[in-house]
Amino acid sequence: MIPKAAESLGHLAQRIAMDLIPKAPDEYAATDMGFITFLISMAAQDLERFADVHVREDLITAAIFRAVRPHLSDVGLQSRIDEALGSHAASLRASDLNARADLTTRLLIDLHAAVETAMDRDEAWAKTLNDQIWTFLDGYAERRAYDVPF
Amino acid sequence: MDARADELREGLARYLAAKRGAIWDVEPGTHIPGGASRETWRFQASADGERQGLIVRIDPESSLIDTDRATEYRAIAAAFHAGLPAPEPLYLEADTAWLGRPFSITTEIPGCMASADTMPGEHLAKLGAQKWTWLGKLAALDPIALGVDDVMAMTTPLSCAMEQMEYWAKVIIDDEIHPSPIAEAAVRWLRRHPPPPAQKLSLVHGDYRTGNFLYNSEGDIKAILDWEMAHIGDPLEDLAWSLDPLWCFHTPELAGRLIPHKEAVRHWEAGSGMKVDPKAFRWWQVFAAVKGIGIWISSSEDFHRGASKLPILAIAGWLMTDRQQRILADYLSPHSAHRYVEAVT
Repeated sequence: MIPKAAESLGHLAQRIAMDLIPKAPDEYAATDMGFITFLISMAAQDLERFADVHVREDLITAAIFRAVRPHLSDVGLQSRIDEALGSHAASLRASDLNARADLTTRLLIDLHAAVETAMDRDEAWAKTLNDQIWTFLDGYAERRAYDVPF
Repeated sequence: MDARADELREGLARYLAAKRGAIWDVEPGTHIPGGASRETWRFQASADGERQGLIVRIDPESSLIDTDRATEYRAIAAAFHAGLPAPEPLYLEADTAWLGRPFSITTEIPGCMASADTMPGEHLAKLGAQKWTWLGKLAALDPIALGVDDVMAMTTPLSCAMEQMEYWAKVIIDDEIHPSPIAEAAVRWLRRHPPPPAQKLSLVHGDYRTGNFLYNSEGDIKAILDWEMAHIGDPLEDLAWSLDPLWCFHTPELAGRLIPHKEAVRHWEAGSGMKVDPKAFRWWQVFAAVKGIGIWISSSEDFHRGASKLPILAIAGWLMTDRQQRILADYLSPHSAHRYVEAVT
């Protein structure tokens, strides 16, 4: 395994920025290398936080699914909730965590739409759930924020 | 790169000779960085003592946005002939025999910059006034009189907003690599809160923002660039896009890193002769962020699955998606502090 992989990627990005870009043959190549430097730095940030973000979000969405389920009359959505709550990622590999997140995020999107429809009918429970989902989405955006110098 | 540059230089010299009936000497070109929708080159050509700077935009193997070069070229021509600052269009060429792919040629606007990072600090207010006044003047033009309706789909004041929205909603679904819960929430919001009909139909630039115009060191805007997403629609679409916080992410109080939002809108209103309806603007503001997500998701999809591995596609796809999601959450979340919502009227 690469020791301290995220840090190592940071070092490689720094090497490109400090030593290789000044030797680029033209402005186009220098700009490309600059972009690659930022992309490596962003990939390093994702590598560091990836599992934490997905495992944490799996727990939060599971809580939302449990809270929404009793209010739903849609059998299809209920069944998808049961399936999601009764399963988990096949492993902690990035590909398996991604597949799990795709499944739960798609379900969350459909539940959010159902909650909004219930809000239109002034169903009291829906506003609370909508707030809960938006709390998740606020965090979803923040957890994916990249730290870049521009 | 050198082989590519030589190939283009030779092809361009042959093309100019064929078009102009004289031998044009073409100097080695410069590949202009930054753009992702076209491969853009700057050349100097000369014949019989005449010297001309040329910008050659070549269709990409893969790009941020799938666009038609004819639409872009005709929009530039319309703007140029209407007296807006735009490069003079020279040729639109579909034949791949010359440069390997279709291309267009416009005149170079010399001595100018496009980067937001190099805008002269003492001229920000001047640049801002021009930027939104020109946009207002574009909004005031009649797209039928400009003659662009034969290359751009016609629409109606009532339907143009939802047509654009559904287009970008489909792009998001078609191109997403992972589901987009914030973008989809925003799309549902747009569907549930339709805007009033457009006050008029205009030629919409489609990507009007800081970075897409050329300015000189005196703070004069000399050319509006990047018309590849031009279409006929509600002029508020351009205004909202130009005011998207993405273009002033670290200084959200300064529209496009230039002037306060209210001032920008005042200049736009003076240029267009229209008043901004805050309710309609709110819809277009959310739309702009959704359209942004559509573009960024599409570029990410291009990077991962397409022929091109240009790093700018990944920068757009990764970093811009991150920021645009935060902007949308800021707009729509019931818990939001609305850091990115600036008063415009």
